[in-house]
Amino acid sequence: MLFLALFLPSLLAALLAFFVVPYQPWVGRVNALLSLPAMGAATVFAGHAIAGLDAPTFGRGELLRGDGLSALLMVCITFVSALALFFAPGLWSAGHYDATQTRRYHIYTNLFIAAMLVAVSANNVALMWIAIEATTIFSALVIPLTISKASVEASWKYILICSVGIALAFTGTVLAYFGFVTRVGHATNALNWTVLLAAAPSLQAEVMRLAFIFLLIGYGTKAGIAPMHTWLPDAHSEAPATLSAMMSGVLLAVALYAVIRWKVVVDAAIGAGFTNRLLIALGVASLAIAALSVVLQRNYKRMLAYSSIEHTGLMCVGLALGPLGAFATFLHLINHTAAKSLMFILAGRLADRYQTTEISSVSGFLKVMPWTAALFTIGMMATLGLPPFGMFVSEFALIRAGFAADQPWLMATLLVLLAVAFVSFIGHLNRMLYGAPPSEVRVGEQWSWHIAPLFLNVGILLVLGLALPGPLNALIDETVKIVSKP
Amino acid sequence: MMDPSAFAQVSTLGASLVLLFGIALLWRRSLRAYVQAFQWQSFVLTLLIALIAFFSQNPEIYVVAAFLFVLKVLVIPRYLNRLYNAVGGERESHPYVNVATSVIGAGFLVLVGYGVTRPLVRISTLPTRGGLPLAMGLILVGLFVIITRRKALTQVVGFLVLENGIALLAVLGTYGIPLIIELGVFLDVLFGFLVMQVIVYHIHGTFESIDVKQLNRLKH
Repeated sequence: MLFLALFLPSLLAALLAFFVVPYQPWVGRVNALLSLPAMGAATVFAGHAIAGLDAPTFGRGELLRGDGLSALLMVCITFVSALALFFAPGLWSAGHYDATQTRRYHIYTNLFIAAMLVAVSANNVALMWIAIEATTIFSALVIPLTISKASVEASWKYILICSVGIALAFTGTVLAYFGFVTRVGHATNALNWTVLLAAAPSLQAEVMRLAFIFLLIGYGTKAGIAPMHTWLPDAHSEAPATLSAMMSGVLLAVALYAVIRWKVVVDAAIGAGFTNRLLIALGVASLAIAALSVVLQRNYKRMLAYSSIEHTGLMCVGLALGPLGAFATFLHLINHTAAKSLMFILAGRLADRYQTTEISSVSGFLKVMPWTAALFTIGMMATLGLPPFGMFVSEFALIRAGFAADQPWLMATLLVLLAVAFVSFIGHLNRMLYGAPPSEVRVGEQWSWHIAPLFLNVGILLVLGLALPGPLNALIDETVKIVSKP
Repeated sequence: MMDPSAFAQVSTLGASLVLLFGIALLWRRSLRAYVQAFQWQSFVLTLLIALIAFFSQNPEIYVVAAFLFVLKVLVIPRYLNRLYNAVGGERESHPYVNVATSVIGAGFLVLVGYGVTRPLVRISTLPTRGGLPLAMGLILVGLFVIITRRKALTQVVGFLVLENGIALLAVLGTYGIPLIIELGVFLDVLFGFLVMQVIVYHIHGTFESIDVKQLNRLKH
């Protein structure tokens, strides 16, 4: 029942958009409203986990299961999708999309949301794979909403690289299944995460190691982990702003979630040393590539995309630092979801007004769009990990976990890379905020209630920067227990 | 019932043929030949899966073979041929890695496949385990095709060949993953392929060629 309440709204929304031809603005508004019950269902899942109840399951052989880790992701996904549907093209103004494009946006975006929700509630790891592959397919259809050379190029790189990556993740899944049936025999539900985890100690180490390499490369491609990140800046910069918000805010987290689920199984089989070393290596590589790319960046949407790679890298390292690191990572994940969805939606408003994504062509942002620019600045400060925002706390916790895990050199490297990115972000932001506005850009922005939901993001970032609310603390504790089983 | 050692030999032979059709992509240049190689590969794979179904007396595997036949021998090659006709006779005339080097590279990749799957072959008890290195080799060859070839259509075929490699690995190593999951995977393959195909049409429409070397606008 609970699972139905989670998936059904987005499926209904997709159907509604499909059957109403041509697109009508009320369809978009109903779709935005439909995202609220899903958010409610996700909260109930979180409540279950916080109360310490058994994870709700569904279907023959527990096909679906919503434990604390799933609930955390569900809350993030439903929040960002509600935001993305509220700011979707065709609700308040047509934007530069025609009715056919807007209709397509609403069909595929809602299917995309449903696929992400299935991915994080699947107990069966192959169902999780199927759902994550489906997210690629649906989002690849939204990127080239307006066909241009750049958008076609971005969507081709996206679907090809991510499909190949996901295929490798499937190879890893097959290898793990092979390890299971060879040792344990054909069991019903052998692909269930809970069953795999229970059987893990008896699985053969070499096979699990090989499987994890494939899984990490595969899902890591989708999570934007370097060196498999090459599709990400293209896709994030060419997609419609609200889709970028979802891709950066939660899609990367969903892929990382898949890595985490597998890490738990593989750790139970062979100990955490192997997966930790790999995660640290790829995490640092992501941070380094992201930091250097930000320095050279000329396009503000791509700059934000590299910031996503940076934070994914940070979370990879955090996951390798034991329970303290895991706690910091999940806190960081929530912060990143709030900050990045905010930033990409604002970047979309900025691009609509200036009609360019070049940093050098944007000047006088504060004068041209005071509200958007103010929020953009706040979001940027939060993304950079400045107090009093949440990311300061989570990054601080992560660094502390690193020192507690006796990794001072690793932490020093992280701090240097974060500082490099920090300086260049500030430089880029400065260039955009001040100066004389270009003559062809209309100056001035009226306050409008339409941007009010973005203050929710700011509120979340601010609250998480000042205190950790009890229920959230309990939920993250529950999640940490799941990923760091003794 | 079939003699296990004969079954082992036939399955390894089948796996070798499947791999060979994958390597064929590396020495042919015509995109039409790629579609044919993929079609034949899928056909041999179907036969092999049906044989495994017969040997293991598992009716579910017949269903997998039937789906594979419809999807990869009938439906997808049809779409591929239509796509080939629409984008107009381009050839893979200047791949990033030339043919001779590619074929040597494929040999090397099969060796890597042998190395990587050694622990698998050691612990498996199935008569089909001899084909596991070939399946891994095919996965790597598929990746190699995608990376070194320049036409979008070739990359699509490379991806499909990679998928066949995974199907081969699954069926040889485990006699197939559960049917319900297999169906979900087929659905993903079909939709993924259809979307890729749409984007290849877009590439052809906006760039007037399907050479991915032109896809170089977005950098850094």
